[in-house]
Amino acid sequence: MNEIDADRERRKRFDRVAGVFHQDMYRYATWLSRNPDVAEEVVQEALLRAWKSLDALREDEAAKPWLLTIVRRENARYFERKRLETVDIDNLTPAQSAMLAETDDQETDDIRQAIFRLEDDYREPLVLQVLMGYSTKEIAEMMGMQQGAILTRLHRARLKLKDDVEREAAR
Amino acid sequence: MSGSGKAMNCDAFKEGILADPSATFEGAGHAAACNSCAAFQAEVQALDTHILKALAIDVPDLVMPELPRVADDNVVSLPVFRRSRLPGWFAIAASIALAAVVGVRLLGPGADLTLAEEILAHIDHEPGALRVTDVAVTDDRFSAVVRPVTGTMDRNIGLISYAQSCVINGREVPHLVIQGEKGPITLLLMPKEMIDMAQAIEGAGVSGVILPVGNGSIAIIGERDEDLTELERNVIDSVEWSI
Repeated sequence: MNEIDADRERRKRFDRVAGVFHQDMYRYATWLSRNPDVAEEVVQEALLRAWKSLDALREDEAAKPWLLTIVRRENARYFERKRLETVDIDNLTPAQSAMLAETDDQETDDIRQAIFRLEDDYREPLVLQVLMGYSTKEIAEMMGMQQGAILTRLHRARLKLKDDVEREAAR
Repeated sequence: MSGSGKAMNCDAFKEGILADPSATFEGAGHAAACNSCAAFQAEVQALDTHILKALAIDVPDLVMPELPRVADDNVVSLPVFRRSRLPGWFAIAASIALAAVVGVRLLGPGADLTLAEEILAHIDHEPGALRVTDVAVTDDRFSAVVRPVTGTMDRNIGLISYAQSCVINGREVPHLVIQGEKGPITLLLMPKEMIDMAQAIEGAGVSGVILPVGNGSIAIIGERDEDLTELERNVIDSVEWSI
């Protein structure tokens, strides 16, 4: 295969991988940062890094955790560079407000806001488990933690959400 | 615990199901013999359905970043002090696009508007060239682009991060990018493209000049606050046309 053909094949592979998992990358980045604007920038950087290191991805079947790990690192880099503090819930950007805009399902709206308020340590494993479909063992590997610690965080995350929902329902 | 003969007590079950409500949860059998825990499990699973729905926010269309050539890898992110909220390439490309709309201002009468406009339009079409990077193109790459049509040029005038043969005004010319203090600087070495006097190019966010150099001209365009004076002098000194 000549250089041009190799480049074309590489690009096709990248487009395929990025196209399939772009939504997951964006949602993961959004819930990590709680900011759709930041998420877009993080995903752009992550795609660029993924493109540069595409050869490190041996099998396309492993693309999803590979891409999400890149998103996770890029998100950390972003906040390291910007030295941003936690999100001020009382002073949301328009993009954040749009993210939390009400739908026709009150319970989902309440839970979305409750997830938004969750501490980072609880929100991330919850996203990886519920949205991305990973087992607690896989999440522990991705986050570089013990499985028991992940189970504890997930337990506490749901307990908080459950309490929030019950509190809202009691109003 | 609300019943006997169960492998797991109710507290442990509830703790476990809150951590992992999936069907693979190892204590799932407990709920079959405990109505209270079965109800709790159903409640948590219903909560998870709402969590999933809440997490599945709308996703905008995929916007693919400008991808560098594989051979030109090691592209690095823009340092913080240079970054806007948009990706750097987008800001630069947008400013150049604006520059093309705004137009050019000429230093002297009779200068060639068309050449300046074509240069701006060309740069706009290769936004991938305008990346901040700390990696220079290889000597082979540089030689392949510069030597055949130009003659010689001292490549030590700066960190040359991009080299490509392009067509400007119907002639193949080397398109180079040098890393400047404020951002990437475009150089177009245009043998045979003779102009009477220097032409300034100005637009939103970018500025530069087309300099007459012997039997040709050289365009140098960078960020508006970039001081190009020394580079202009070095480029003129370092280029020798073969024509």
